[in-house]
Amino acid sequence: MKPRLLIAAAIVVLLGLGGAVRVYLALENQAYHPPVRSTSVESGVPREQALEDIAKDHEAKAKAKKYEPPTYRTLPLVSSRVAVWVVAQLHLMFAAFVLAVPMFAFIIELIGYFNGDKRYDRLAYEFTKLLSTSFSFTASFGGFLTFLLIMLYPAFTNYLMEIFSWTFFPYVALFFAEAGFLYSYYYGWGKFHPLVHLFLGLGINVVGTLIMFIADSWASFMMTPGGVSDAGALIDPWAALDNFTWMPINIHRFIGNIAFGGSVAAAYAAWKFLGAKTDEERAHYDWMGYMGNFVAISAFLPLPFAGYYLAREIYGYNQALGIMMMGGAFSWLFIIQAVLIGNLFLAANYYLWLGMGRIEGTQSYQRYVKYLLAAIAVCFAVWATPRSILASVSEIKAMGGTLHPALGVLGVMSAKNTAVNILILTTYVSFLFYRRTGKRPTVAWAALGNAAQFLIFFGVSAFVIALGVYGYFVDAATRIGLSIPQVLSVLFAMVAMTVIDAFLLRGAEETGATHWGKLPAISQYVLIFIAVTFTWLMGLMGYVRSGLRQHWHVYGVMRDQSVDAFTPTLGFATQVISVIVIIFFALIAFVFWLSSLHDRPDWNGGGGH
Amino acid sequence: MRLPVSLNVIMLVVGSSLFYTYVGQLVPQKQLLPPAEVAIAADLTTDQMVKVGFEVVQQKGLCLTCHTIGKSGTLRYPDLAGVGDRAKTRKPGMDDLHYLAESLYHPDAFVVPGFNPGMPTINKPPIGLTDKEILCVIAWLQSLGGTPSVTMQTKLPDQGQG
Repeated sequence: MKPRLLIAAAIVVLLGLGGAVRVYLALENQAYHPPVRSTSVESGVPREQALEDIAKDHEAKAKAKKYEPPTYRTLPLVSSRVAVWVVAQLHLMFAAFVLAVPMFAFIIELIGYFNGDKRYDRLAYEFTKLLSTSFSFTASFGGFLTFLLIMLYPAFTNYLMEIFSWTFFPYVALFFAEAGFLYSYYYGWGKFHPLVHLFLGLGINVVGTLIMFIADSWASFMMTPGGVSDAGALIDPWAALDNFTWMPINIHRFIGNIAFGGSVAAAYAAWKFLGAKTDEERAHYDWMGYMGNFVAISAFLPLPFAGYYLAREIYGYNQALGIMMMGGAFSWLFIIQAVLIGNLFLAANYYLWLGMGRIEGTQSYQRYVKYLLAAIAVCFAVWATPRSILASVSEIKAMGGTLHPALGVLGVMSAKNTAVNILILTTYVSFLFYRRTGKRPTVAWAALGNAAQFLIFFGVSAFVIALGVYGYFVDAATRIGLSIPQVLSVLFAMVAMTVIDAFLLRGAEETGATHWGKLPAISQYVLIFIAVTFTWLMGLMGYVRSGLRQHWHVYGVMRDQSVDAFTPTLGFATQVISVIVIIFFALIAFVFWLSSLHDRPDWNGGGGH
Repeated sequence: MRLPVSLNVIMLVVGSSLFYTYVGQLVPQKQLLPPAEVAIAADLTTDQMVKVGFEVVQQKGLCLTCHTIGKSGTLRYPDLAGVGDRAKTRKPGMDDLHYLAESLYHPDAFVVPGFNPGMPTINKPPIGLTDKEILCVIAWLQSLGGTPSVTMQTKLPDQGQG
């Protein structure tokens, strides 16, 4: 290769490289470049000083931070209100159970003491066996509820403590006394003189009732506060406790607890009956179920009157609150209640009619069952008839409003009060027929006694219906007052007929023996159904009592400012109630299972001896 | 085939609860919200006051929970139709404006014959209407059979005590 050519080629290559480098640099200058910080750190430069200053500032601010107590806290996944609702209701259900069972255990033991029949003592003990685990559940749920209130509603809980802290020490002292009496009563069965044991039973009931009275004052104060200034400052502690609805709730719960406890105890007996292996076991648990149900229905019959008294006091405290309950947002809840109570009446009567089957010679009374059923069905239908009917636009046009031209008249209190009173009377007559089955009065005045009972029943029924009809033609003040003679006349009928019956059946001739345990299995499922319905009803009525406050923690005194400050739909409420009821029965099944361990043979390591 | 007792009992408990839940879905579903606070301008005309008053009556005031408008027969609470006219002669020596104001601030001071006392004091909790809201309610009440004379500048003896 010639040297000249080599030099020229080298020059071309160099020029090409130079051009390429030039183009690269030109493009590189136009591209984005992030700022490059120096990585070399020298002490004392402004950056380090700034970082130190920032850290000191944060520390100073943290130290100077003022404590501000939270008004509300929240839970993940579940709303605070639903959490408190579920736990409070479960606490209440177990509390109702542990207050009620000792009541009728004590009464049954007392009957056994006086008549010397050991079966009563065994029955009372069987009921009491259910108590110890239930008592633990009650206390556990009570503690859980307290923690939830402190955690989720600190400001409200603090306010309630401000008002009621003076009741806490007596409450705790009574709780210790309750535990002492209850466990002495349970573990001391057969270990003391009968009268000492009965005294322990009485002690549980007195102390348990006082505990309930104190707790009721807190709940009733939230609905109908008293003894405080307009701004909520405590003026009179006793007036805060003895507020408008305190005593009505005490009475209503006292009776309601007995009904509820009786029904759950009857459900326990039904469960044992269904699993019984021998006729003797079946006979015992049939009798136990009958007694539990008898207690439940006996308490259930006056319960609407106690409920009426409570509602009356709510109206007395604040008319708008009463109207909201019966004629406003909550009025449809009472249609749901009518379905529940109607079912209770139907089931209770059905159980009594099935029970006639265990007694020989039932035919004389069974022929009346169809009339009783018809009366119950009519009353149920009247009670469940709403004032305004859900209808389409065309139906509303045809009716000239939401009020049905014929059925609209049944949606008012005059009709409903009449229906419930006749329902109560009819159920009472069912019980009277059951009681009479297999017996023939031998007293000389038997015919007169029967006629007197017949006259009282029809006379009072006519009087109740007449007052119901009269209510449509008088002013409001008079109409409201008519329910009192209705109630009193029904109570008079039940008391008078019972007294006549007691004397009428003295020395009565037995025309047929009672065969305990000889009745169909369906009767036991009816008892369980009654217990579920009672429990559900408790949940529903607990909701209306509490929900009536709407967006108030303490009605008219302390407003609910949380995200839950609204009244949920009835549909949502019924879903929550069902969840509560299912949880309760799951737990009560555990209680039943624990109680049944008593009857199991001891474990012997798998080897039979 | 016979099912085990425990399964029957579980089905009965769950089935009954579901049935009652279903009944609960059949009734009207209404969620109640707390009453919204609405600022009332100080320069409303009387006609505007009547409109605002009716809103207050329907919502925050809860008046129509008890009272009716244009209903006759056996009523539990006084019907409001024509009250604007009746208010002029209800109490001797008291004009309609002051009678209506007294009925709201002191409901039991005069009870219509045939009805029970017990209406809640309207400017106190739980209803707690403001003085401006009460003026608007009075305007609406006066409009029922009468002529509204109240204005936003009207001074009433009980104002400022809510």
